[in-house]
Amino acid sequence: MTVYLSRRYGFAASHRLHSPALSEARNREIYGKCNNPNGHGHNYEVELTVRSAVDPVTGLAVDLATLDGLAETHILKPFRYRNLNEEIDVFRLAVPTTENMAAEVDRRLRAAWPETFPADGPRLEKVRIWETERNICEV
Amino acid sequence: MIISKKVEFSASHICRSEHLSDEDNERLYGAASNPLGHGHNYIVEVAVSGDPEPVTGMILDLKHLKDILEERVLSVYDHRLLNREVAPFDRVVPTVENIAIDIWNRLEPHIDPTGRARLWSVRVHETNDLFVEYRGEK
Repeated sequence: MTVYLSRRYGFAASHRLHSPALSEARNREIYGKCNNPNGHGHNYEVELTVRSAVDPVTGLAVDLATLDGLAETHILKPFRYRNLNEEIDVFRLAVPTTENMAAEVDRRLRAAWPETFPADGPRLEKVRIWETERNICEV
Repeated sequence: MIISKKVEFSASHICRSEHLSDEDNERLYGAASNPLGHGHNYIVEVAVSGDPEPVTGMILDLKHLKDILEERVLSVYDHRLLNREVAPFDRVVPTVENIAIDIWNRLEPHIDPTGRARLWSVRVHETNDLFVEYRGEK
């Protein structure tokens, strides 16, 4: 039996939406108050969906301690209480929009996945990230 | 089209396998392996797929869905100790994975006698940060 297990995590961080490729005026126009030079923050939520067969003995699709450890090491610990633009390398260049955050979370997890789970084990199906309750991106 | 209905039940369970050592049970299930049990307020989302019937505009009579959820799931699961009172959990560990699969198995044959609608997925939320969806994949 194959199921989709989803686990949700949270972290708080600050960011500023600003592209050096655009003029100050254009940045203000596109990003609005998110372009405030002093930055601002969010309580982000990250939902990971894993596709896996259910082990007939344990009844488990994925070892939650392993999944939680992966999320903690690669996402939560590096991002928690950070200024994303200043402290996360990729966001020195890319604008830390919800879209780029979701792509970066997905990239980090996929990079660490093979050393964490066996090749025939759980597969990362989907990453969803909530910047606010009303702003959600899915990869 | 897919239409979903959400219901809740409360139940207790013990996540331990008799095939595993005490040490393995504690490592795998953590606090949920407490032999005295603990409980959750489960939320179940049932999704049904099909084309709306042209006259009624409905994929499925939601009253029928509500009735079979009550009869086949809620009346069986609600305020029970799953390991002792709900088969197959005398044999399989009542993890949220196995609960989603069992609810699918209970509902699937009864979803729609006319065959217009079919069960698409069963999603069971055990806590705010953990849910499992089963789509009938073997």
